Amino acid sequence: MVIKNKKAQMKIQQMMFMLLAVTFLFILVGVFFLAIKLSTLKQSATSLEEKNAMLLVSKLASSPEFSCENAFGAKASCVDFDKVIALKEMKEYSDFWGVAEIEIRKIFPASNEICTSQNYPNCGIVKVFESKKNALPPSTNFISLCRKEVSERIIYDKCELALLMVSSEEKG
Amino acid sequence: MNKKGQEEIIGFVVIIVIVAIAMVVLLWFLINSPSENTVEDFEVESFIQTALQYTTDCEDFVEFLSVQDLIISCEENDKCLDERSSCVVLNEILTNIIENSWKVGEESAVKGYKMKIFVDDLEKITMEKGNVTTANYKGAFQDFARAGTDYKVSLNIYY
Repeated sequence: MVIKNKKAQMKIQQMMFMLLAVTFLFILVGVFFLAIKLSTLKQSATSLEEKNAMLLVSKLASSPEFSCENAFGAKASCVDFDKVIALKEMKEYSDFWGVAEIEIRKIFPASNEICTSQNYPNCGIVKVFESKKNALPPSTNFISLCRKEVSERIIYDKCELALLMVSSEEKG
Repeated sequence: MNKKGQEEIIGFVVIIVIVAIAMVVLLWFLINSPSENTVEDFEVESFIQTALQYTTDCEDFVEFLSVQDLIISCEENDKCLDERSSCVVLNEILTNIIENSWKVGEESAVKGYKMKIFVDDLEKITMEKGNVTTANYKGAFQDFARAGTDYKVSLNIYY
């Protein structure tokens, strides 16, 4: 009787071990596939975010309020510096763009001076629009920041290299 | 009978442990794989586009030349109005533009860059800095033509 009991206990233990091991294996396989799925999801979210950011920056750069149109010849990703400075003063546009912040930063020649109507065009950072809402890290793209310049002999188009930085609002 | 059962369990546990280790290693690789790149193709593309439109301080009789005009001027061995060689100005301006836009360094996200200018498929100018041997890079090119000559500017950013 005692011997039979011991044998049964051993069998139950064996079964428990097996069940635990099988459960552990299934959990591992599940976690593994979940990780693969999540990683793919993360990649598509990142690429979607990039696309959106790129589209938003391109849309802004080509909107009539920013774009050079044909004032400086046919130029791609061209932003009119004069328009931007004028736009900066217009508070009516604060909710127009649906973003938290828009900033233009000259890269070459670089300058850390914030642009005002007094120091324009000898400055490097234009805070076109700044809301008090929580802003996400900015999406950026290179632009040509162009303006009309007067030299000793001629009036010419001066285009500099800048970054257009757009921050979206943080949701929730 | 008991011993046989125990051996089977031990064998099964060993298999489970091996599978678990393999999966953990794979998971570690999946989690640690870079989910986003620090540099994107479209950034390099728009950089080349806007860099070519940059107005330099090299003046001819009509206007101040853009980088694109300066490349053509360099190919034709022309000089600026102040007698500087257009190739020297081009080199200087391009280096400054790239180094201000892509900060190369060990602690920076950008480890190196390589810019090439081709004229009719012949490599004319090459500029590079940092580690340009890694396979992690984003690149783009822009081409244009003037007076029957084809120009191509390519840039690779290594990260």
